[in-house]
Amino acid sequence: MPPAKDIHRTRPVFDWVLIATIFVCFVRPAFGHHSFTAEFTAEKTATLTGTVTQVWFRNPHVRFLFAVTSADGEEEVWDARGSPVVWLARKGWTRNSIKVGDTVTMYGFLGRDGRKMLSIMTVTLEDGTVLIDRVPE
Amino acid sequence: MVAKLNRYCIAMLLLVMPLSLVAVEADFEGRWMVSLQDQKRTLVGLLELERSGDGWVAYLEGGPATVEIDGNNIVIIADSRDVRGFVFDRRLVGALKDDAMSGSYTQEGAAAQKEAPGPWSAKREVPVTATKKEAKPVDISGMWTATQELDFRKYTMALTPAGKEWLKTYLPYYDQPDVRCTSIGLPALATYSFPFEIIQSEDRYTMIYEYLSKVRRVWMDGRTPSEFMPPSRMGHSNGRWEGSTLIIETTLLDKTVRDFRGELISENARIEERYSLSADGNTLSAVLTVDDPDSYERPPVRRRRWVRNDKTEIFPYTCDPDSFYIPMYEDGEMDMYIERTDRRF
Repeated sequence: MPPAKDIHRTRPVFDWVLIATIFVCFVRPAFGHHSFTAEFTAEKTATLTGTVTQVWFRNPHVRFLFAVTSADGEEEVWDARGSPVVWLARKGWTRNSIKVGDTVTMYGFLGRDGRKMLSIMTVTLEDGTVLIDRVPE
Repeated sequence: MVAKLNRYCIAMLLLVMPLSLVAVEADFEGRWMVSLQDQKRTLVGLLELERSGDGWVAYLEGGPATVEIDGNNIVIIADSRDVRGFVFDRRLVGALKDDAMSGSYTQEGAAAQKEAPGPWSAKREVPVTATKKEAKPVDISGMWTATQELDFRKYTMALTPAGKEWLKTYLPYYDQPDVRCTSIGLPALATYSFPFEIIQSEDRYTMIYEYLSKVRRVWMDGRTPSEFMPPSRMGHSNGRWEGSTLIIETTLLDKTVRDFRGELISENARIEERYSLSADGNTLSAVLTVDDPDSYERPPVRRRRWVRNDKTEIFPYTCDPDSFYIPMYEDGEMDMYIERTDRRF
């Protein structure tokens, strides 16, 4: 393969690496880390089962930390965010619906950039009860 | 005589034909009320179509939309955001016939709230007559729960250069008032999807909103606030009945943001709300217009519909900002947050 062509072919790759580097290093922090708008992606959903380690059942929005064992046996802590208590209460959630130590299956939108965050749509409890936050309509 | 008549006819044709051609071309121009049918709900919005050079520009609810017009055919693409804040487009494809537009629409882009393709139509807006209508108050007191109807939730609005500049450095979530339990105020509170109660007294309506447990008073006696009244998130509201429409004008507003996206509402903003009741008295509809030339080139319009539900409970809104501050502390973002004090209200 002629060397000149090689140079031409590697340039776009170099450009993209540079753009990606600039984006990752300088652009991302401007989006903020916990915003529903900037932090979650509408393209990716996930269903994860784990054990609840911390609960914040409070307005302005609820938050649960839960430990999930990954495919390779590693324990990962996931950060799940939901709607305000007033919204959830109307759908039958109480402060005792999800407690520390419970095994839950959470379905929701994933955090951007591989962050272990979940924007809750539904939570399935051990006894099969499904708690609805928002359902895709 | 016949020759004279022929000459007259030719002259008239020459005069009228170009005019009629212009008229045909200009048919799309003007203000339209667009109605769009999702599976279970109807969305309504003001569409403004204007000529710009050789082409066209469009605004939906005061925010810019993409428009393509070819003969009698039209394509409008307007962005919106869903309940989770995900941004998507609605693509309206249709045609103009007998001074009305109709066609079909599809949702484009990933969204949490899926919409089925459906029909849309548009009729020319009926201008509000300037003549004062006699007040015919209707009973709007009671508990109201929001429906998913009416608002297109137009995403991009027509910001002024100053408004754009402000938004550039706004950090969604971090700078938003309600995540730290501070009132987001008007206009957001009046159109949120949480229930509210209206109480009627002799000289005022009192509105109690579930979200953030906020209260406002709408004075019907034309009073002005005292010189010591500080500006606030709910401002000073005066109401009047025009026919059976309750019109509320609010001023003396504190600086805030229009919704969680962070577009500014300046201290000079004037908000108009128009409330109307269905014939059976069970459906309340509102159109809210933000007149804030400091921030917007065109006034943003928001709509909301509620149904009467006297069995609804207004839940207490006990707010604890721990779920906001703790993750920020865990991620080492407190210094960044504190440095942004001047960006928050």
